[in-house]
Amino acid sequence: MAKRAPILREPLNVLALALITAFAVCAVLAPFLAPYDPLAQTLSSRLEPPSAAHWLGTDSLGRDIASRILYGARISLIVGVVVVALAGVFGTFVGLVAGYAGGLADEALMRFTEVFLAFPPLILAMAIAGALGPSLTNAIIAIAAVTWAVYARLARGQLLSLRRREYVEAARSIGASPTRILARHLLPNAIAPLLVQASFDMGAAIIAAAGLSFIGFGAQPPTPEWGVMISEGRNFISTQPWLSLFPGLAILFAVGAFNVLGDGLRDLFDPRLRRAG
Amino acid sequence: MSYRRSSILFVIALLVAAACSQPPPSAGSPTPQATGGAASTLVWYADTSDLISLDPAVAYEFTGVLLAHNAYETLVKFDGADLSTIKPALAQSWDIKDSGTQWDITFKLRSGAKFASGNAITADDVVYSFQRVLKLNKSPAFLFTDIAQIKDTSIKASDPSTVVISLPKTASPQGFLAVLTFTIGSVVDSKDVKTKETGGDSGSGYLLDHSSGSGAFVIDHWTKNSEVQLKANPNYTGSPKPALGGVLVKHVPESTNQQFALEKGDADIARNLGAQQITALQGKPGVVTTTGNSLQLVYVGMNVTVKPLDNVNVREALRTAIDYDGIVKDLFKGGAKKVQGIVPAGLAGYNETTPFQADVNKAKSLLQQAGQTAITLELLVPTGPAPGGVAWADLAAKLQSDWKNIGVTVNIKQTTQADLLGTYRAQKGQLVMILWGPDFPDPDANVGPFTDYAAKSIAFRNGWDDKTIAAKGRDAALITDAAKRSTAYKDITDYVLHNGPYVVLYQPTEPFGLRSNVKGFVWSPMDWTDFAAISK
Amino acid sequence: MRFLGFLLRRVVGIAAVMIGVSVITFAISHVIPADPVAAALGDHATDAQIAQFRAEYRLDRPLPEQYISYATGILHGDLGKSIRTRRSVADDLADSFPATLELSFAALLISIVLGVPAGVWSAVSRGRIPDYVVRVLSLAGGSLPVFWLGLIVIGLFYYQLGWFPGGGRLDTFVSPPPTRTGLYVLDSILAGDVEALRSSLVHLVLPALTLGYFSTAVIARMTRSSMLDVLGQDYMRTARAKGLREPVIVLRHALRNALIPTITIVGLTFGSLLSGAVLTETIFSWPGLGRYATASAVSLDFPAVLGVTLLAAVVYPVANLVVDVAYYWLDPRIQRG
Repeated sequence: MAKRAPILREPLNVLALALITAFAVCAVLAPFLAPYDPLAQTLSSRLEPPSAAHWLGTDSLGRDIASRILYGARISLIVGVVVVALAGVFGTFVGLVAGYAGGLADEALMRFTEVFLAFPPLILAMAIAGALGPSLTNAIIAIAAVTWAVYARLARGQLLSLRRREYVEAARSIGASPTRILARHLLPNAIAPLLVQASFDMGAAIIAAAGLSFIGFGAQPPTPEWGVMISEGRNFISTQPWLSLFPGLAILFAVGAFNVLGDGLRDLFDPRLRRAG
Repeated sequence: MSYRRSSILFVIALLVAAACSQPPPSAGSPTPQATGGAASTLVWYADTSDLISLDPAVAYEFTGVLLAHNAYETLVKFDGADLSTIKPALAQSWDIKDSGTQWDITFKLRSGAKFASGNAITADDVVYSFQRVLKLNKSPAFLFTDIAQIKDTSIKASDPSTVVISLPKTASPQGFLAVLTFTIGSVVDSKDVKTKETGGDSGSGYLLDHSSGSGAFVIDHWTKNSEVQLKANPNYTGSPKPALGGVLVKHVPESTNQQFALEKGDADIARNLGAQQITALQGKPGVVTTTGNSLQLVYVGMNVTVKPLDNVNVREALRTAIDYDGIVKDLFKGGAKKVQGIVPAGLAGYNETTPFQADVNKAKSLLQQAGQTAITLELLVPTGPAPGGVAWADLAAKLQSDWKNIGVTVNIKQTTQADLLGTYRAQKGQLVMILWGPDFPDPDANVGPFTDYAAKSIAFRNGWDDKTIAAKGRDAALITDAAKRSTAYKDITDYVLHNGPYVVLYQPTEPFGLRSNVKGFVWSPMDWTDFAAISK
Repeated sequence: MRFLGFLLRRVVGIAAVMIGVSVITFAISHVIPADPVAAALGDHATDAQIAQFRAEYRLDRPLPEQYISYATGILHGDLGKSIRTRRSVADDLADSFPATLELSFAALLISIVLGVPAGVWSAVSRGRIPDYVVRVLSLAGGSLPVFWLGLIVIGLFYYQLGWFPGGGRLDTFVSPPPTRTGLYVLDSILAGDVEALRSSLVHLVLPALTLGYFSTAVIARMTRSSMLDVLGQDYMRTARAKGLREPVIVLRHALRNALIPTITIVGLTFGSLLSGAVLTETIFSWPGLGRYATASAVSLDFPAVLGVTLLAAVVYPVANLVVDVAYYWLDPRIQRG
């Protein structure tokens, strides 16, 4: 495995790791960090600009935006982790099975994967979320459904290229069982591009969930999800732009951090990967 | 060389696009002419995604009705926003006769009335128009078949300028006249439409995006998902004659965009502004805001088949806990009317009493009387904005917090309106928050659905089978004496106020943004306006 | 001959994928717990009307039968009738697709025109300020939600500055050019309509910039990274040793080769543009496929959702196929299948 130090030499990477840590801390410790209850309405102090009492201002129902952003971090983190876990595990499984089994099973599974790759992601997500009903859970399912296929293709590709490596021949020649080969030799090396993809997908899932909430298919008000907050603030763009501005910035920083992490991981694992794009 | 590749790719793609282009769909897109100048065309920005057809026998959604109302005339009408008296329109007079077995209503048509095509309006046109409504049997047809209970044979032309329509004794003639003010009663040019019929569609395919009527305007074109253009009818024989040269209804679903366009002068009238935008527009140069009344009611239905909602004290407690004044003042900024009865203001039979306003102690004691202290219920809420421009979710959150004060835990479940209606119709909701608008401007249009279980409407959806009140409602519908009818409805609404399964929250007013040079705009509670009265 | 074989295999592959897409979408649409008919007919519909409607849309038949009649319909070009608009889905799609196509092309054009030079500049000035600026902006492009960007762009450029219109494809009083392709810019050029050309271009700017930001970022990063690779290669050193000036080296030798992976990306980004269009069109009142898809999904209008999904799912493979065919033709060395 490559050394850790080079990844930290790039200042952008350090910043990204710091942001991700901050994001995780906000998410986990939201109940302790938030100055107000994110759902508490104070109709007398609506639409206030940022002030000492409310660092990021209040929204149309008098709720503290800063607190809502903190709780929103929690929701976004869950969304990202669950989507990537569901999609990654399922997709990798399918890909590994296809790659290892070969033949007809491989063809069938890969056709199945291609079908899902052909779907335009947001449209399929809308169809699923529309069919199941608008909720954050259904949005997660929908996004996972459009994300898993990439992992299948990656995992299979990795498996196919690695299985020809010499150490597999060696392991097989000394009689190691197929499972052992998979677990000890193939899996750890196959994981690299999957991890890179996972990092990018964390960000993509957060944006997708926000997008679904924005058009009414994901989380619903009064949930303090960042996409919902942007949607609630869209009618106030001209007069109280901070309602939509801050949740958007939150998304920007969180997703940006994951994207930088993904880049860094890609450089870390294999410099040759970068050229292939 | 790589630039060449990418430019070749681009050109190939363009050619593919050009090759794939289909010929323009035949209906509805002749090359639109440039409108006669910005000065005389009213630009109306609205969310018109509900527009399905401009055919008055088919249109039942707001946008379709608004446009059809301006392109066609009916036998009788209301003047502007005044729904108290029915006035003559195409019929200059009418006469209701009780012939023993049925009601016979004789309409005498206005002499000299003409269609936009120049054809004279005759009794045959009326017969054709009403018969095609029955034949097509689309969404609004129930107004003829169920409310008025008429058939093909009920409509006759006794001479070229007289129409006789017969109703069974079980239908209300006053109600029927109210129905006729609606776009379903539009008179179409039968000579013209008959030539456009294809495959037995009674001309519905043609009238989907063309008009063939006698209204102050004609439909020039409808570019789907984009705009509908109306032009003034030069052969209009009614009054007042339109001051505008035309009206352009543009589809702009985002209310923020409507607000911006209004401020910049790109729009003359913005239809879907929210309470916040109205506030934002105050004091902006060149812009004014106004409101129109609507006949809608926003309410929560309580399913009496779900315990403990079967207990009248529990229902009364839920009603008593709500902060109605807070809703009107803080959420709607005054853009709503506090109404708690089932008949909205503007209709005869409106009951002004509003006995409920958040009284936590009283509500709690009612719950104790009923022996219920820890109640948990599910509130079904639609997605999107409620009438009046506040999000349904915000309204629900307010109710949730009000009910929490008396110890009732309410879990909010948001679903699309389609989903909600499905559950509601199947009597599977517990608490359902939704709106209701009367189908025709008569108190029976609300009282019937709200009190009569057998009508399979609102009372049915909430499992409320009270035969006494249902009978009272049916009787009141048929009373012809105005004063007696009024007393009967007061009786009924008072009863429902305290015994029914409803928490009526408010009657929305519709906010509009206008350029200050727009004059004569009046919004009718029938959810339309007469473009002919507007000038700019 | 090999070319025909390659083409045939790809077309068959696309057809197979389409079948898969249609089956899955059909399954999803029919899993709905709610009833689309109630939505379409509204609150006051009688039971009889609902039954009539369901029969008209064949909703009362068993599922496999519905799918078969739907699939056979497709072969005749019949995509069914939209429950929401009551028109043929094919007509609805024909109306809205050109608008999205035009927006996507504009976004793609912008992303190439902005992204490629940005990537080159960034690579050439590696480690210095311009490199960081481009990289940060590209990062932002890949990380911000397109709908948020759209709101900000409208708020700033339309509302505050008034430089560009805030929605729609044309000015209020400008008529669309006669329809040849449905792409207003192209049609106005073909018809010689200057007013429509100016108006449609001006209306394209903001939505295309918004939609294109993401792909600009992707293309910039891709160009930068492949330029960096190429600049470090042996033949570059040979060119420098020959004494050629730096700009010549960059433009003539490096760029040409660096662009190859970028071209591959173009096909991919076209597909992602379609997804981004959904949200962009909502914000900019753009009457395209994305807005149609959203409205259909909200009203559970599954024939329409099916239609949109099929159309969108066929665009990406076809775009890729076109790119590959173009490659195959232009460069016999690349005989990849």
